[in-house]
Amino acid sequence: MKKTIAYIGLFFFAACFLLPFLIMVVGSFRDMQYALLSPSFWFSDELSLSNYTYILDDGIFMRWIFNSVVITVVPVFSQMFFCTVIGYIFAKKQFPGREIYFWTFMAVIMIPQQLLIIPKYIMFANFGWINNYASLIVPEIWGIMGVFLIRQYLQGIPNDFEEAAKIDGATDFQIFMRIIFPLTIPVVATVGTFSFIQNWNDLFQPLIYMTQEEMFPVTVGLASILGKEGHFGIEMAGSTISFIPTFLIFLFFQRYFTEGIQLSGIK
Amino acid sequence: MSQEETKEEEYRTPPEKQPKQPKKSSLKTRMKKHWDKYSLIYIFFVPIMIHFLIFQVFPFAFSFVLTFMDWKIIGDSTFVGFEHWARFFQDDLAHLAIWNTVVFSIYYIIPTMGLGLILALIINSGIRFAGFFKGIFFLPVVTSFVIVAGIWGWMFQGTADGLINMMLGWFGIEQQLFLSDSDQALAVLAGLSILKVSGSTMIYYFAGLQSIPGQLYEAAKIDGANAFRMFWQITFPLLKPIHFYVLIITTISSFQIFDSAFLLTGGGPNNSTTTIVYYLYEQGFTSLNLSYAAVLSYVLFAIVLVISLIQRKFLGKDDNIY
Repeated sequence: MKKTIAYIGLFFFAACFLLPFLIMVVGSFRDMQYALLSPSFWFSDELSLSNYTYILDDGIFMRWIFNSVVITVVPVFSQMFFCTVIGYIFAKKQFPGREIYFWTFMAVIMIPQQLLIIPKYIMFANFGWINNYASLIVPEIWGIMGVFLIRQYLQGIPNDFEEAAKIDGATDFQIFMRIIFPLTIPVVATVGTFSFIQNWNDLFQPLIYMTQEEMFPVTVGLASILGKEGHFGIEMAGSTISFIPTFLIFLFFQRYFTEGIQLSGIK
Repeated sequence: MSQEETKEEEYRTPPEKQPKQPKKSSLKTRMKKHWDKYSLIYIFFVPIMIHFLIFQVFPFAFSFVLTFMDWKIIGDSTFVGFEHWARFFQDDLAHLAIWNTVVFSIYYIIPTMGLGLILALIINSGIRFAGFFKGIFFLPVVTSFVIVAGIWGWMFQGTADGLINMMLGWFGIEQQLFLSDSDQALAVLAGLSILKVSGSTMIYYFAGLQSIPGQLYEAAKIDGANAFRMFWQITFPLLKPIHFYVLIITTISSFQIFDSAFLLTGGGPNNSTTTIVYYLYEQGFTSLNLSYAAVLSYVLFAIVLVISLIQRKFLGKDDNIY
């Protein structure tokens, strides 16, 4: 009885959650001038690739995808590296003012990003970083949340390994690369997947720092065609393409997303 | 190996015990020792700290200065004192934006928590393929707002062709305007956020449910409690730390809502979906009134800070469990 209710609920909610994605994929294969809801939307057996060919021929869309890749890949890898080093330093190294620095980080995390964007816009305008990848890459090369996750994880690992390595005469850098880094791979993967989602999906920052169409990442690009008459199929095709990397990463790293969400709850 | 050992020995001998060595060499040894101990900090921590000062601390302080200036992108900026702050207290649209955001939170917070809890209960009830379904519910969380909003806007078209209008028609409910109706638009946006975020509340609740000891339910069963009573008397109260934590994070995120208002309604109709962040965006980057936008961003900060402080006060050390 209890199980039956659970299954009914499960299928009901699963259908609700999947419906938008179904609409996206089906819509991307429908050649529609307007988003008319005739039964042909669902049941037409004519698979139209016109939306995809339009996107691929257009050029600008592939440029948006390329921009998104640039502003995502660099921060993902640099965050994985820097957050691990800094997290390790906070977890295992003794130095004056360590706790003060850490709690400053934790306080700053409460500042809404929207507050920092206005002064950053002025700064970047002076740096010549408007319509430049630097404005979306340089500030994101590390992140407080990632440092926090790594520190949290490393604090739970005994110091024995490091001490043994130290006695064997390993330098700090060797200890970090050979012992700490391999140990932290699961959390590093979490930091990487979080960073991917954050940068790939970010709308607010590129909306402000990127004003030329050819510098838009795919989020801002899709936003610029959103709701235009007759563009529904194209928009859905674009959404589908930009969703593929997210979906693949999600498929392979799902565990790290959910673990990361839980870890970030530990304070 | 033996060579290394002697080297090690050298480092360990404090300089005082080698009186014959010239002072310069001892300084070198000390510096070497210092470097060995702090090299990672000099190479990585110091540059990251500088980065932190440039991209986080400085903008925070600079933004505060901005609120007292009339900042012009081109031309001279002038000091205007409290002019922008005074404007905020008389700006009806700013007050409306705060009110809209509060209304949005009311639409959004409880359903997001409730749906997250229901999903977690379903996943945790011993069904098959739990991991697979967990993935489905979590999928919107990782999907870009732009994608989900595009589909949502299509589903909620205010014409007879809209999918939701068609479904309402099956139940004999007349056609709704949805995003074009100033009474409904905010609720439709909240619906989108609920769909997008409840997957992550589910994860918190799922972790909470798994930490409840099974004996409690067995004991309750022996006492003849039904599933309904067990939920309200065991599960729900024991999830208290999770309720509180999820409440805080959903509240904070609801005050920062921007994407859906920007993508689907542009703040309209009739300013009914102008939220704090949307108004900030419009003032700062459409009207190019950066100083006033900075004031609004400090108002947002104050609200978020108060919520966070409440969390500190009430949660204290309680949330160590999770």
